[in-house]
Parts: sequence; C-alpha cells; structure tokens
Amino acid sequence: MESLIGVNCSAIECSSTGAPIWRDILAQAMTGELLAAMNYTSLSEMCEDPAEIADALEHAQGEQGHAAAFAAEGRKIGVDVTNNVDAKHWKRLRDAFLRCITERDFIGCLIVQEIMLESFAVASYSRVGKVAPGSLGGTFARIAAEEEDHVDHAMAILRAERARDAQRFDDKVYRLHLDVMTTLAQMLAKECKDGHCEVCHASCVKPSLFEVSLSAADLRGASLQQYLKTLDMLGIPGEVTLRWVTQLPV
Amino acid sequence: MGDAVARVTTRARTIDADFALIGHQESWRAAADVLAVLRGRQRTPLPDDEIKDILPWIPPRAVCHVDVGSLAGTKARGLYIDSFIPPDRLEAAYVHENIARVRGAAACAIKAGAKIVSLGGFSSILIEGNFDQLPERRGTVFTTGNTLTVAFIVQGIQKMCAMEGRNLRRSTLLIVGATGDVGSGCARCLAPIVKRVLLSARNVERLSRLAAELQDDGVQVEVATDLQQFSAEADVVICAASLASPSLLLGRIAPDAIVCDAGYPKNLSPTAEMLDAKVFFGGLGQITGGMKFTPDFHGVLNRHPFPDVVHGCLLEGMALALEHRFEPFSQGRGFITEERVDEIETIAARHGIYLAPLYNADGPLEDGLDDRWNGREDEPIGERPSRTVESSF
Repeated sequence: MESLIGVNCSAIECSSTGAPIWRDILAQAMTGELLAAMNYTSLSEMCEDPAEIADALEHAQGEQGHAAAFAAEGRKIGVDVTNNVDAKHWKRLRDAFLRCITERDFIGCLIVQEIMLESFAVASYSRVGKVAPGSLGGTFARIAAEEEDHVDHAMAILRAERARDAQRFDDKVYRLHLDVMTTLAQMLAKECKDGHCEVCHASCVKPSLFEVSLSAADLRGASLQQYLKTLDMLGIPGEVTLRWVTQLPV
Repeated sequence: MGDAVARVTTRARTIDADFALIGHQESWRAAADVLAVLRGRQRTPLPDDEIKDILPWIPPRAVCHVDVGSLAGTKARGLYIDSFIPPDRLEAAYVHENIARVRGAAACAIKAGAKIVSLGGFSSILIEGNFDQLPERRGTVFTTGNTLTVAFIVQGIQKMCAMEGRNLRRSTLLIVGATGDVGSGCARCLAPIVKRVLLSARNVERLSRLAAELQDDGVQVEVATDLQQFSAEADVVICAASLASPSLLLGRIAPDAIVCDAGYPKNLSPTAEMLDAKVFFGGLGQITGGMKFTPDFHGVLNRHPFPDVVHGCLLEGMALALEHRFEPFSQGRGFITEERVDEIETIAARHGIYLAPLYNADGPLEDGLDDRWNGREDEPIGERPSRTVESSF
C-alpha cells in the first residue's frame, strides 16, 4: 500500500508542471549510463585477465540496468525518455575514453570513467535524489550510492598505481583532466553557450531547473567538489588539483 | 605540455611543512584575486557571479607554499591553507558549516605534516577554546596566534599615542569585546599603564570576572554591556569585536579618540560618525627576514599597503616555527597574560618580526608605502561590507 501511494504521489507531482524537466534530466542520466555501459564493454574487450573481463562486463551490465531504471522512472511519470550517446559533449567523452582503449591504457580508462565521469554522476544524482519526488528521487539516490561503490572499487587500484610512480600518475591524470574535465565543465556550465546539447528534448533544461528545486550552478559546484574530494583520496596534492579546477572553462 | 605538467605537480609533492596557516578571504574581491592567480594570467578571469557560485563548493585545501626567513638566519617552510569560507557567510547561521570547514583545513595541515598551525582570522574565533573540535593529530600543534596579535595591538596603541602626542597614562581606555581572548589580553597589558579602563562586552558574568581581576591589581575599572553607555568617555578605544555596524556603535566616541580596529574582518573606517577619530588597523606585524609565496601570491594574500605585513595570529605560528618551538602557545579561553605577551614579542623580535607600520582604510598613517599596493579594493565585485583593506594574511 505504501509503495502505491509513493508511485501515485510521484506521478502527480512529476506530471503536473515538472514532467518536461524530469524528462530532460532523465535523458541526460540515461545517456550517461549507456555511455558508461559502452565504456565498460570496450574495457572488457581490452582486458586479457578473465577476472578483469568478467568485472568489466558486470559493470557494463550494471550501467545498463541503471539506464533501464531511468527509462522506467520516465514511464511512471508519463514521459518517453530518449537518449543520445552521439550528442556532441557525450561523444567527446566517449572519444576520450576510446583513446585510452586504443593506447591499451587500463589505468587511463579507470581515471576517465571512475574518477571523472562517476564524480559527476555521484554528485548530480545525489542532488537530484534529494529533490525528486517519490520513486524518482529514490532511484537517483540508489544509483548514486551504487556509483559511489564503483569509485571505491577503482580507488584501491588507482592508489596502488600512484604509489608506484606518483609523478607519472599525476601527469596522466592531468592530461586526461584537460581532455575530459574540459568537456564536462562545458556540459556543466550554467548556460549552454555553444548551442543545443542534442540530449534535451526541446530547449535547454538548465534555465528551468529551479522549478524542481535544482540549479545548474549547484549541480556544477557539487560535481567539482566531488571530483576534488576524489582526487584528494587518490593523494594528489590539494593545491595542485585546486589549480586544475580553477583553470576549467566556465 | 609535459614540462608544464611536471612543474605543476612536482612542487607540491614533497611537503615538509614546519608550519601551516589556516585562513579565508575577507571579501569577494580578495577571493577573486586568489582564483585569478590560480587560473593564470593567460586565462580570462572568472566573472564575479561565477566566483560566487563556485567558491562555496571548494573543499578546504592548501593554496600555496610560504617560505619565511629570520634575521637570526633560520628559515621555515609552510603552507597557506584556505578553508574557503565564503566572505558572506561569517554570521552565526553558518557556524556549523564553517567549523566543518576549519576542521577540514586542519586535517589538510595534519596531512601535510605541519608541526605548528596558526588559526587565522575567523578560524580562531570558531575554534577558540575548543581545540578538541579539531581532528586527531600526531605531531601537529595548533595555536590561535592571539598572543602575538595582542602584542601588536598594544604596541600599535602606544605608537599611535606617541605619534599623536598623547599621554597614555592619562587616557581612558575602552575595550569593545573585552571578554574575548584578544580583548581580555589587551586589558591585562594596558590596564596598568592607563588612567581608567572601560570594559564592554555582552556577557555580564565574564565582564565582572575580568573587572575583578584587574581591580585586584589596583586598576580603576568600569563595565557595561551597552556600549553607548560610556563610549563618549574614552579617548583610546580598542575594538576587539567584529561589530556588524561598528561605526554606528562608536558614533558617540570622543571626536579625537584613538581607535584601534582589532576585529576581524577589519571594518572600521574614519567615516562621518567618527570624523576626527584616529583609526588604525591593529594586530598586524611585519616580517623583515623575507617571505615568499609559491605560486606568487604576494600582494594578493597579504593586501596591505606595506610589504610583508601579516596578521599577528599567523605571524605567531611563523615565529614559533623559526624558533623551533612547536607548542600550542595560544589556546584561547582568555588566558593571555602580560608575561606571555612579552615572551612572544621577544621571540618574534629575535626573528625580525615587528609591529607593522600603521595604516587604516584610507591608507598609510606613516611613510613606507609599498609600491605593490595598488588600491585594488576599489574595483567592483558584489557588495562590500565597508571600505577596508582586506587580507587573509
């Protein structure tokens, strides 16, 4: 009975005025999850160790499950959630990952996916989870927690790698930061100044986020904070990462 | 690009800090300048609205390295750690958030292996007397730095009186915020050398206790919780509380009174309410053995009209590091005594750390203007609490 009430509340609250906004938020999230699934699948093809292959495929499956969960939440509020992994920003992120694959750079793949993209996902899903009504909020919060577990898993591998050669590791992170985080910063800008993102259904969702108690500035701030904290956990000096972040485009 | 990456990462990797300074920016203008340095000259500065959006999300962290030298020939290496308390969030409503930020900054200092940490500005006000709120540490001690701040306030009062031809022994001294760590320290140091002492603070019980302590030493003391009750009677005023509207509260002081702005942030200016008052910023010292920031934040973190001027609270940590005395010299709770002030003064002087030349929001009150001080506080960024020279150092 309780769950029924929850679903009804969610549907009512979301379908009244916020449905188009939630549809675009879900579309961005779903696209991100599908891209992550593609990245893990690519990673599995690069791996040789059967355990690593299985691990990557399991992650890919998990991300596909997340995408499906977001699509299902859309159906609950009566919207069809579309996705576009070829949208300009997302495609650039995918290309950055594929460059690591081409170089057979397993560590680079983990840095892009687990440190950079997941920081963005964990922070933004957590914030959406706090304000989205009913099961929609619950799903975002649950997936945020699951993505955080992924980060923890990768952290051990990356810390061990950094312990071997901190200078080389930090240089690699910085190079990937320039590539990936520059794109993410453009995605997270308060306004999309360089045209339509090719994921939002109609016009850009950012100016409307306040209607569902969100803001582009807060989502960006939370994402960058999560990113800095994750880099702190890796052991990269805070004054260095602060400079990296302040140099990103706004 | 590889070389650039190496430059960025190598400098900070091997941290071996003698001291750490925890602070935050007093104004959005100061915060903008810090971020501009980090962003680099070749990039367009962040717009004001973006700075206000981004800064509150930055976790506490080191911003730069600080190397200081002593006239005695010793050197010390340190870090400046910014808690990134937003300049418009110093009120009580944000106290828990700000304590968490100071704790985070303290954790950075501990992680960096700092042997002594000075709690600058509002950090000390938040943590004062509650060092147990700081993270667990091994080999790192904390000091509020307030003892050296008191020393420089007292020296500043004496110097200003001399400059104005006043006899301090015939003066009536008013201390606003008298029961705080700095206020009570000033009271103990100055009460024996003035004619009469007026103490003002909000807590009656603590006021009475301090008054009794001073009276036991034969000092003529009066107390009041209502500042306006006797502000007109004072000819020397120390404002050791960061008043929301100090100019209004001090509107009744004697027209030619000497006023030391010892609060944080500095927010007294010789405006219409205090037309002829001789206002100066107190608690500031100057390190003459050299101070170097890496990256170069000179004139950005220490935005004063004279070179190498730093708040006394931060200088205390540097002086103790140069002295190799890694001990929690100032722990808050109002225990600053004349003897301790003399002791830290002696230590500071041994390393070439002296009272800074006096100045106020209008500029220097004596010669020696630093060419690097270019009056940037006049540039617009958001609302400014008052005309002042802000600095985290």
